[in-house]
Amino acid sequence: MLIDKGYTKVRPLAGGLDGWIDAGFPVQDVA
Amino acid sequence: MTLDQLPEGIGIAGSGPAYHGNVGRRLHRRNLRLDGGGLVSRRASPSHYHSRVHSLVHYVLVYGVSLIFINVLLEQLGAPVPAVPALIVAGALSRDGKMSSTNILLAAIAASLIADYMWFLLGRRYGYRILRTLCRISLSPDSCVRDTEARFERWGLKSLLIAKFIPGFSTVAPPLAGASGRGTLAFVIYDGIGALIWAGAAVAAGRAFHRAIDRLLAALENLGGWALVVIGCLLAVLIAVKWAQRIHFLRQLRLARIEPRELKAMLDRGEFPVVIDVRTPGARKHNPRAIPNAILVHMDDVATQLGDVAPHTEVVLYCT
Repeated sequence: MLIDKGYTKVRPLAGGLDGWIDAGFPVQDVA
Repeated sequence: MTLDQLPEGIGIAGSGPAYHGNVGRRLHRRNLRLDGGGLVSRRASPSHYHSRVHSLVHYVLVYGVSLIFINVLLEQLGAPVPAVPALIVAGALSRDGKMSSTNILLAAIAASLIADYMWFLLGRRYGYRILRTLCRISLSPDSCVRDTEARFERWGLKSLLIAKFIPGFSTVAPPLAGASGRGTLAFVIYDGIGALIWAGAAVAAGRAFHRAIDRLLAALENLGGWALVVIGCLLAVLIAVKWAQRIHFLRQLRLARIEPRELKAMLDRGEFPVVIDVRTPGARKHNPRAIPNAILVHMDDVATQLGDVAPHTEVVLYCT
C-alpha cells in the first residue's frame, strides 16, 4: 500500500514488537 | 465406523476368515461373506448391490470414522493433511448407506473441538506469541498475525463459525480466542457449530456428488496398489508446492525486513525512520507498550497518516 503511494523504503520489523522487546530494547507505555 | 458397526449383511469381498485373520473371523460371526472383491452378505446375492465396494475402500469402511477423526485432528492441529477430501468421500459413502453420516460428523466435530480447544488453551497461556509460532509452521504464507487479528476483532467469536473455510485462519482463530480472553463455554459453542457447518458442508458435497466420487473410487480401484502411490504422490506434490511457496515467501520477506538491532542502531545514530505500530487495538490492549516515538495507526490509515512524509523516508512497520 505504501509502496503504491511512492514510498520506496518500507520495511517490516523482523519479529515485530516481541522481537524488539526480546532484544532488550526500550519501549514506552501507550496505555 | 468400526467393523462391529457395519450394517448387518455387509462384509468385505475377496477374502475370508481363513486368510484374513481377525477381520475375516469377525465378519464371519456377523454372517457376512467376502466374495471376489466386493462387500456382500452371505445371505444375499451380489446382484442386490448396485455397486460393489472395492478393496481400496474396505479399510475406509472398516476404520472410516477413526480415519476421519485422526485426519481432522491432524489438520486442525496444524499438520498439512487436508481433511476435506476424506470428508467428501465419507459423505459419498454415507449417501450409499455404507457409512453413517452422523458418526462422520460426530467424529469430525469431536476431533476439531479437541484440537481447537488445545490451541485455545495455548493461546490463553502464551498469549499472542503462540500466533507467531503458528504462522511460522503454517503452509499458508498469505495469512499473517495482523490479518487474523483484524478479522477476529471485527467478527469476534462469530468468526469461528466460518473460520474453517478460510485458509490459515482456521488454525489461528482458536488460539486468538484464547489470547483475547474469550470465555471457554462460548468458545466451545461457536467452535462446535463452526465445525458442524464445515464438516456438514463437506459431507453434503460428498452426498450430492456421490456418483462422480464412486466413479473416481472405481478408477482408483482399477489402479490397484498404484492408487495409493498416486494419492500419496498427489499429496506429496501438494505439500511440496505449498512448502516451496512458503520458502520463496520467507526468502523475500527476509530480504525486505529490518532486524531490531539494525533499527536500534539507526535510532542511536540519530537517523530517525518513521516507525509505525500497525497492531490492532486488541493487540495494543493486550500489550500496551510500543517502540519509543512510534506512530500508532490502523493499517488502513497508514497512507493517510504519512501524508507529509517525504517518499524517500525510511519507514518501518511492526505488529505483534
